[in-house]
Amino acid sequence: MACFERASPALREILLKIHTAERPLEIEHHVHEFGSVHYHVQSSASNQPYTYLSVSTPLLSQGLPMSSDLPQQTLEMVKGICPDVVEIVEPAKEGYRLTLKLNFARIPHSKVSTKMIRDISSVQAVILSSELKEILRNVDSQEVSRGLYKPIKLIYHPREPFFVIKQPAKITAVFPMRFKETEDVIIATAFFQELMDVGSSGACTKAPHCIWSAIPPPELRGEPIQDLSTNCGFVSFDITSRHVEGKKLDKTVWNLLNFYAFVKYHVKSTRGFIQRRMRMCLDRLVQPLQTAEIEEDQPVKKKAKGCRRLRKWISSSKLKILKRKYDFTNKIKRIRSRIKIHGFSRFRRRWLKMPKFSPVTRYIKLD
Amino acid sequence: MANPLRLYLTCIRNTLEAAMCLQNFPCQEVERHNKPEVELKTSPELLLNPVTICRNEAEKCLIETSINSLRISLKVKQADELENILTKKFLRFLSMRAEAFQVLRRKPVQGYDISFLITNYHCEEMQKQKLIDFIVQFMEDIDKEISELKLSVNTRGRLVATEFLKQFV
Repeated sequence: MACFERASPALREILLKIHTAERPLEIEHHVHEFGSVHYHVQSSASNQPYTYLSVSTPLLSQGLPMSSDLPQQTLEMVKGICPDVVEIVEPAKEGYRLTLKLNFARIPHSKVSTKMIRDISSVQAVILSSELKEILRNVDSQEVSRGLYKPIKLIYHPREPFFVIKQPAKITAVFPMRFKETEDVIIATAFFQELMDVGSSGACTKAPHCIWSAIPPPELRGEPIQDLSTNCGFVSFDITSRHVEGKKLDKTVWNLLNFYAFVKYHVKSTRGFIQRRMRMCLDRLVQPLQTAEIEEDQPVKKKAKGCRRLRKWISSSKLKILKRKYDFTNKIKRIRSRIKIHGFSRFRRRWLKMPKFSPVTRYIKLD
Repeated sequence: MANPLRLYLTCIRNTLEAAMCLQNFPCQEVERHNKPEVELKTSPELLLNPVTICRNEAEKCLIETSINSLRISLKVKQADELENILTKKFLRFLSMRAEAFQVLRRKPVQGYDISFLITNYHCEEMQKQKLIDFIVQFMEDIDKEISELKLSVNTRGRLVATEFLKQFV
């Protein structure tokens, strides 16, 4: 199934690792993507600098078995990825549609290497889009049966086929839309209506003309009923020669292949957006009820006053208390009494000693 | 606020002020039990006549009163399918978090979108006028929030559609 990014992230990482390795690596990786795409990367130290990349992917056209060979135009497009680096091996490895021999020695060690490896990693996108490109390239072709424009059914996911209908001066791509949940259907329907409005507005006059209808278009009459039974209608794009000239062909093909994924992503992110908005407004709705509660009188906290001198002693820090004690003790010692009283030192130790206080700042009277 | 909406909310406010005269009343059938009589509806002498206030066919408010409890059920306007799913999602979201609202019922009464249950205990803990203000404010906020949600969804769709079509140009 096509995805927004053409290059496979896992494959790109493996190829970058092989390219940037200081010593030859023995690597064998199997990478599975989207349930039906399978890559096999094999690199051995004895066979440097070659690496073998095998790809197995379903094709767009209906009816082609997995074991069939790739069409010639697809092979030509694959050869055009990086002609110096990529060489097609025939026959392909057993169980795969295509095997490529990659010569990493021809990839320079500069910024260009990242681009080349990214292009090689997008081989599956090239295979997938080659057939549609061939169809759209001949948009102005007059080779159409007399009055009969037979739809071509393209499948890149078993449950999501779409149709391409060749008409004079344009090609129409029709997407039957289906969703599992009713909410998704309604969100998608709102999106398709906006798509029609924007397409017919002045901002996007050069874009393909877009139509959404709840019933199948007349061009699809005669197609199997299971392909035409939908719950979200049909979206049609009219592709003209303007949309396929030069580099626009690649973009147009990729946008059409990714239309299903695009719509599903939009529906999913809209649902997330709705959920976030609801969470944000929850606090605002509860706020008036919190102010409705009757407030009880708070208990008055009384501070005990006590003796002023005692408060002064209590509020002093430990250092001050020690200093005061030292000064007082020294003062007492300096007092020289002419009459020596027997036992005065014991009296002095007992009754003239400084009491120890903990530095408590204040206390609260308990009820 | 538009005039019809103001009249509708004023009518609801006045009805609530008259109906919210609740007192503690133990259950007559089970000893040492105290249940909201408006939910049980076993003793007709404890129930008052329910009042339905309709703004139009799509919007209405049902006020059921009993001696110790009051139930308010609201039906919110839903103009199209998108408003329908937004209302359903939003009110279900709030109902699942009913403990935050205290007076909100987890499941709405059949035929309505959201329900409140106010008991005499709520009237003892909270001020009656502020409770009524909360209900009326809630109705306004819900309408406003759903309209804003719908607008946001359509605006997002338009922006996404513009970006998608620009890729072809």
